[in-house]
Amino acid sequence: MSTHIENLVNKKIEQIKNKENVFDSGKVINVKDYIIEVTGLENVGFFEKVIIWEKGMGYINQIKEHSVIVAIVKQNAPIQVGDIVNATGEQFKAIFAEEGLGRIVDLFGIDLLTGRAFEKFKYINIENPTIPIMDRRAVKRPMLTGIAGIDLIYPIGKGQRQLIIGDKRTGKTQIALDAIVNQGKEMRKTGDDIVCVYIAVGKTKKEIKNIYNELLKRNALSYTTMCVSTNDETPPVASLTPYVGLSIAEEYMHQGKDVLVVIDDLKKHADIYREISLISGRTPGREAYPADIFYLHARLLEKGCQYKNGGSITILPIVETKGGDITDYISTNIISITDGQIVLSEKEYSRGNKPAINYGVSVSRLGGAVQDEEMKKLGAVIRRKFLSYLETKEVYELANMDEMSEELRNKMKQGRKIQEALKQQKFSPLSPSEIQERFEPFKD
Amino acid sequence: MKKNVGKIIEVSELSVKVLLYDQNIRIKDVLQCELEGQIYKFEIIEIDSNIAQAIPYSRVAGLKKGIDVDLQEGGIQIEYSSKILGKIYNPFGETIDDQPNDSLRKRNIYDRNLSVEEISIDNQPLWTGIKALDFFSPLQKGYKMGLLGGAGVGKTVLIKEIINNVYKKFRSNAIFCGIGERSREGKELYDEMQADNLLEKMSMVFGQMGESPCQRSKAIYSGLTLAEYLRDEQNQDVLLFVDNIYRFIQAESEISTEMKRIPIENGYPTTMATDISEVEERINSTNKGSITSFQAIYIPADDITDEAVQSVTTHLDGQIVLDRKVAEKGLYPAINVFKSTSKAIDPEKVGEKHYNLVQETLRYLSRYQELEEIIAVLGIDELSDEDKNIFYRSRKLRNYFTQPMFVSENFTGIKGEMVDIADTLQDVEDILNGKYDDIDEEKLLYRGKLNG
Repeated sequence: MSTHIENLVNKKIEQIKNKENVFDSGKVINVKDYIIEVTGLENVGFFEKVIIWEKGMGYINQIKEHSVIVAIVKQNAPIQVGDIVNATGEQFKAIFAEEGLGRIVDLFGIDLLTGRAFEKFKYINIENPTIPIMDRRAVKRPMLTGIAGIDLIYPIGKGQRQLIIGDKRTGKTQIALDAIVNQGKEMRKTGDDIVCVYIAVGKTKKEIKNIYNELLKRNALSYTTMCVSTNDETPPVASLTPYVGLSIAEEYMHQGKDVLVVIDDLKKHADIYREISLISGRTPGREAYPADIFYLHARLLEKGCQYKNGGSITILPIVETKGGDITDYISTNIISITDGQIVLSEKEYSRGNKPAINYGVSVSRLGGAVQDEEMKKLGAVIRRKFLSYLETKEVYELANMDEMSEELRNKMKQGRKIQEALKQQKFSPLSPSEIQERFEPFKD
Repeated sequence: MKKNVGKIIEVSELSVKVLLYDQNIRIKDVLQCELEGQIYKFEIIEIDSNIAQAIPYSRVAGLKKGIDVDLQEGGIQIEYSSKILGKIYNPFGETIDDQPNDSLRKRNIYDRNLSVEEISIDNQPLWTGIKALDFFSPLQKGYKMGLLGGAGVGKTVLIKEIINNVYKKFRSNAIFCGIGERSREGKELYDEMQADNLLEKMSMVFGQMGESPCQRSKAIYSGLTLAEYLRDEQNQDVLLFVDNIYRFIQAESEISTEMKRIPIENGYPTTMATDISEVEERINSTNKGSITSFQAIYIPADDITDEAVQSVTTHLDGQIVLDRKVAEKGLYPAINVFKSTSKAIDPEKVGEKHYNLVQETLRYLSRYQELEEIIAVLGIDELSDEDKNIFYRSRKLRNYFTQPMFVSENFTGIKGEMVDIADTLQDVEDILNGKYDDIDEEKLLYRGKLNG
């Protein structure tokens, strides 16, 4: 375990030996997986960090009249009733290190590639207060992903929250990675300062390493931090990791930088939170999720904004669906928070239309407001034509092409060409001028 | 401020328990304490002999037990004077736009009940200039209009368009109440109103989605108090926009769970119907002035039979239902014409012509739905001539009811337009009579009136 925790423990042991702060230590009286009840800690604050003697670490999740509830975040040995728990007198905090760029970090400030703690760091809140409404500015600068289907049809702006939603293996993470890699290209072109934060919740170590290698290969790590909780961490850690990732993003935003955050994925996060809630004995609501499941994600995603100092946080949360159903509880909750969604469909994927965007149900609530003039004009025309083509295609699927009116036939032909032009391989970003060149012919 | 009325004995994320020393503490009183320079405030929800359950205004990280609390007298109060216009408040009556909050007269946000005697019913029509709305669910002054829709089908855009049209047309004062929605949109609305110099005729209350359940559940009461001031003290016809009333119930659910009360289905609070009635019954017109309200209602999981949604709609005079299936076709506003209704659709209220046209249009569109299924199997050529007419004219009607909106000019690239109801009626009649049979259906998409 890292040195600062050891130091803390030693300091506390010293205090206890000297019989200072007798109330600062208590005993475990109940263990329910990673939620424990402790008596004797009379003077702890809500969300204070506590140390379970030689066994682990946790934070105060609830203060009751005669005991406290602790959620365990680190555990090296099984915790038993009777174990000693020491208060630390400080809030449970995360660690921010500038050296974290290019590394895979966890919320304890450990570089997971080397297993070492960062030397230069500062403590940051796991979760900061909501950014006040009056400190926000209009979202209007484009955040280019290099994907024509997004930059032209459903654009994303700096400070926007755009959901990427779809079934397993439809290329959700790929879109996010494409966006991260394209930021490098943008920076080389414009000289802007962009930082990316990739947050993994409940991913396997192999998946995380894979993403690391992909980003490394494409020189995207110099400006990217990966803030992860692997799926063998305790659920409280996984549930806090997205907040920590956003706190790191806020640090950069307050420096005036543009930050792109990817959260992979929020459905898993919701499920982990449900598990913690049910184990803590809270009343289940719809689909057994607790009543505050909307608030959980709303306050997280509300950290995405165009800030008054010029910095911004753009968030691309990812949600995995089953059977292509985006109307389930968690998906609709998150759709109702974000500023739009890119829906990926298995059908498009197997037809070879990559990225497998379902243009009919995808939305960008900001639309042309985040595009420059040319892209906006072109985008509006292509979007209208293409959507109209998709709808007409459905109705006239059985109709004989030869008997169609000239106008209709041309529309169908052109629609097919647009669809072809939207196909794009992974990691092959297009610049706005390349996109314009490609789609200009379909304008009239 | 009354000092030391109790002390904290329990703390959890969304509630605190306080041991009271003072007998005179009531439910809905506000307590506060200070720890390490930070002020924490709570509103009391339940009292069991001398133990009070309270919900915090915001996050409680760092709070400890044993801390003494003070009573903030008067509970949650908001300004009750002509100074309210042009200001932005949080749900606790504090200004958040750096403007002074110095009215001598303030009022508790809960005290106001109307008697049956006070209620007045006005019958003046109120046209929004939005074709589909004025045609299928027209409204009158003093109406409560619901805007229902799942996530991302265009509720907020429509409410903004209504604000834009109705408010610019009538120039009456308006209250905007933002509950549990996006802060970005709240700020954009503020910026737009300011740019159009409309802010001084409006006041806003925000308890957005990043805020605690306490904030989200109080915003509606504060907003109502402001609207009541304009109605009762200034004798005005007020417009009240609520976006989104569902979030109020959602916040109440979170609080109710925290209080460990037994929930009804889907985790909604037992007191849901009562809570909604308490709010809705305050939104009414009196002989002094009227309150016309537009209430956006979120439909969770696209389930319109949801208990909370149904509880709100029973209070409404009309509703506009937005449908994902329509939105998927790129037709905005994505109105489901079969589910959108209004009490004004009555020959006595809108007149014979309007009434009959609505009936005929609905007949066409419902036949169109059946025909779509037939066509999927047999193709268009197999239809009878009459059905072919219905099919093509219905598609034109459907396209006709799309409209370029002022607030989505950025998205569509087309200038917004308002359409007079007389024009809408004429156009619909013409389409039904086949006047536009020879025109390509595309040409009817996203435009204002057809004639002239």
